[in-house]
Amino acid sequence: MPYFPQLSSGATGQFPVARQRTARTVVNQSWDGYQVKLADPGAAITEWHLSFEELSDQELAALEALFQAVEGSLTPFTFLDPADNLLAWSEQQSEPVWQADPLLTLTVGISDPFGGTAAYRVSNPTGATLILQQSINAPASLDYCLSVYACSEQSPRLWLVRGATIEAVEIGPQWTRATSAGQLQDTSDTISFGVALDPGSAVNVFGFQAEVQPAASLYKQTAETGGVYPNARFRDDALTFTAAGPGRYSCELDIVNVEYL
Amino acid sequence: MFPTLKTGAVMQYPAKRTLLYNTDIIRFLDGTEQRFRDSPSVLHQWTIPLDLLDESELANFDQFFTSNQGKFGAFSFTDPWDGTIYPNCSLMEDAFSFTVSGEMRGKTTLTVCENRT
Repeated sequence: MPYFPQLSSGATGQFPVARQRTARTVVNQSWDGYQVKLADPGAAITEWHLSFEELSDQELAALEALFQAVEGSLTPFTFLDPADNLLAWSEQQSEPVWQADPLLTLTVGISDPFGGTAAYRVSNPTGATLILQQSINAPASLDYCLSVYACSEQSPRLWLVRGATIEAVEIGPQWTRATSAGQLQDTSDTISFGVALDPGSAVNVFGFQAEVQPAASLYKQTAETGGVYPNARFRDDALTFTAAGPGRYSCELDIVNVEYL
Repeated sequence: MFPTLKTGAVMQYPAKRTLLYNTDIIRFLDGTEQRFRDSPSVLHQWTIPLDLLDESELANFDQFFTSNQGKFGAFSFTDPWDGTIYPNCSLMEDAFSFTVSGEMRGKTTLTVCENRT
């Protein structure tokens, strides 16, 4: 499956980024102002307007290669939203998208770093390392950053799972934002993000976030969908770029994701 | 519930509130008029322009739009002018767009309308 390329900086987009979500609601309005509404979730559209400046020869070549591979607006590609958290249900680790190893226990209603009670306590009562993770349908070869708020009274470390890489981070009794970032030498079309717990440890976690960039941005809560769009297309059949000089290109493009296609 | 900003505010200046009546007018040949209400009461509408939002605040509004499925869903809205709670409100539009021109520089506009109950 083709996918939208990253820039050499590891980012997918440059500022300004504009995104529009469009829903479809059928409304029957009576004379006196009462309304009967019917939602049509299948007709939802998400659009991005991306502007690129100072692209290098390689970056432009990657964009052009994708545009030719998908033949303009004809066929889809995977687009990872540069302004969103790629993980679904970032605060509901009990949802089925999260895969917890057997015997890993999750306790809800723990105080979170933003003053709520949306954190989870993840406990590993076994003698083996156990993992809580979510897989997304995105190329594993890109540059990703995983971040999660974590704290623990008893465990001095937490393992962050980013594809085949497992990285230890130090944690303490105060909430800290643990991050793991980098690029993997992996050509698979899926990648997992999560945490691994040492035997006998218990850690409070909140706000899982995966982003297609080399560093973490502010936390963004997600629900049933994250920022992975496997059915995205170029809106237009034309890709125009401007060369301001050798190795200095700019272009603007629109990407659209339509659920019903 | 409609999301609030990190400051706790619902709106930023310049905020706009609209009161809506629905009056039918029958004008006769001699110029006189007969007017009558088509709706039983006034409806409220709030236009909420938001600027300099951070990514987290934008994500909250995006989630709010998605969970409401555009103008389909209903929610309660507290009028920041007088604190009155309007229990049956919806988003006015089926589209939600924002622009991020830099870090913590998100911009969007939402319109909330009161539904007839």
